[in-house]
Amino acid sequence: MYFKGINSYGDRGLVLDFGNETSKSISQEVNETFLNISNLNLQSLNIIPSFNKIVVIFENSKIRDQNKDKIIMKMKDTNSQTNKKVTKTWKIPACYNEDFALDIKIIQKIHQITKEEVINLHSSVRYYTYYIGFMPGFPYLGDVPSQLITPRLATPRVKIPARSIGIAKNHTCIYPKVSPGGWNIIGQIPFDIFDLQSSYPSLFLPGDRVKFYSVSLSEFEKIRKYNFSLNELIKEYSS
Amino acid sequence: MNSIIITRAGTHSTIQDFGRFQYQHLGVSPSGAMDQRIITELQKIIPNHQNQFLEFAYVGPSIKVKEGSVKICVGGNCNMSIQKNNNSQLECQPYKSINLFEGDELIIHNTIDSVYGYIAFEHGLGLEPCLNSYSTDTKAGIGSINRPLNDEDIFHISKDVSSWDLISIPKPDLEKVTNFKVYPGPQLQYFSDNTLQSFISSVFTITNQSDRMGIRLKGESLISSKSHDILSEGILPGSIQVPSDGQPIVLMRDIPCTGGYPKIAILSEVDISRISQLPPETKITFDLQTIY
Repeated sequence: MYFKGINSYGDRGLVLDFGNETSKSISQEVNETFLNISNLNLQSLNIIPSFNKIVVIFENSKIRDQNKDKIIMKMKDTNSQTNKKVTKTWKIPACYNEDFALDIKIIQKIHQITKEEVINLHSSVRYYTYYIGFMPGFPYLGDVPSQLITPRLATPRVKIPARSIGIAKNHTCIYPKVSPGGWNIIGQIPFDIFDLQSSYPSLFLPGDRVKFYSVSLSEFEKIRKYNFSLNELIKEYSS
Repeated sequence: MNSIIITRAGTHSTIQDFGRFQYQHLGVSPSGAMDQRIITELQKIIPNHQNQFLEFAYVGPSIKVKEGSVKICVGGNCNMSIQKNNNSQLECQPYKSINLFEGDELIIHNTIDSVYGYIAFEHGLGLEPCLNSYSTDTKAGIGSINRPLNDEDIFHISKDVSSWDLISIPKPDLEKVTNFKVYPGPQLQYFSDNTLQSFISSVFTITNQSDRMGIRLKGESLISSKSHDILSEGILPGSIQVPSDGQPIVLMRDIPCTGGYPKIAILSEVDISRISQLPPETKITFDLQTIY
């Protein structure tokens, strides 16, 4: 139990506090609690998990106060471990070709390793999805092997290509669309991970596991041409 | 079929409604009309607005009826006129319904002593919702139209106007507030008593670096006694965050979904609408509520 307490956030929000640190086990509790609270079908406007907190937003203070007890009761209900099956495990093709790996040399230089070592290390770990944030569908994945931990770029890039894979500190990510940003770019995936046509638009959800596997440029282009829908991607690349 | 064409887009015109909810955990901001009081009022005059309101800022749009006829109503404090298709000019007022016929052009010159205004259209603008909302977040590229409106944009309204009766309401009393009651933010304790005293006793100026995402303020520097870098966490509109330069930013409707700056305080929902209407150089003050 990392749950530390529940506090007001202005006149219409609540913050569920899980302590001051960040770790996978705290995040797992956050994301399980997030699913449990989502299943309560509260009259909330948004429920937002992050590394060590959940923010719940209501229309006004009256509705907030009416729903607060339900959340507290759910927090005390330690038997609600029913959500583990909801999360998915993904196997995501990644092309680390030099056309896409804009910053791989920085990582090689800092850690004195070869390009192949960077690729092998990055694709060796089954990452955990801490949460989705920064931009629509952007997953914060971790933790990367210690030999890949790299600070953000000193000067953020103005335009990172869509579908780029990045590393910053102990996290790795995928940029859903073109964006400015400071992550070290090491490759690209061949399909979109956020689809506005879908009623559930994000491929990844908090708590999902993600493992990358290296594909050649020709395989990458072959997959790219398929133009998978979100549902097809779920069938093809997750279990 | 009825259609209208945007003959001048204005400074920043977008489609908005009351907001897009239930998607912030996927990185999607709530967006929605900056001043929700006005679209609430417009509902009384155009009940069948289909949640497709046109929001404009400063210089408003000009809209011409291309085909058929439409019934609309403008909300906010603005100068406007109608250029009839026979070349005569008509005066018109906010909060009174307006019937426009083929060739008529509504020209919204500008907002007066405020920032945002709105147009409601009977039967909406023929748009499809995006993630259950018509709101536009131009930075994230999300919305029925995922960008600001451009010259030459055309909207088709298939249903005809149901009644030409003129409807009006008294001009709502949307009083101009410059003193804001705020609630303690989640990181209030990141600021010393002295800094909190400066926060509530000094005057802040709204800068021109303000938009749908946030209003940047200039004033006494509010330096945290702990840190200006927190672990990213969920945020809601109205939050007043303080980056390391000590100059507070009031987060508005197109908020980033999570944020890593300490939040000293937060405005009430209605005050988000009120503060959105204050033009740059307006002086404001804060009053911290302790019981809530």
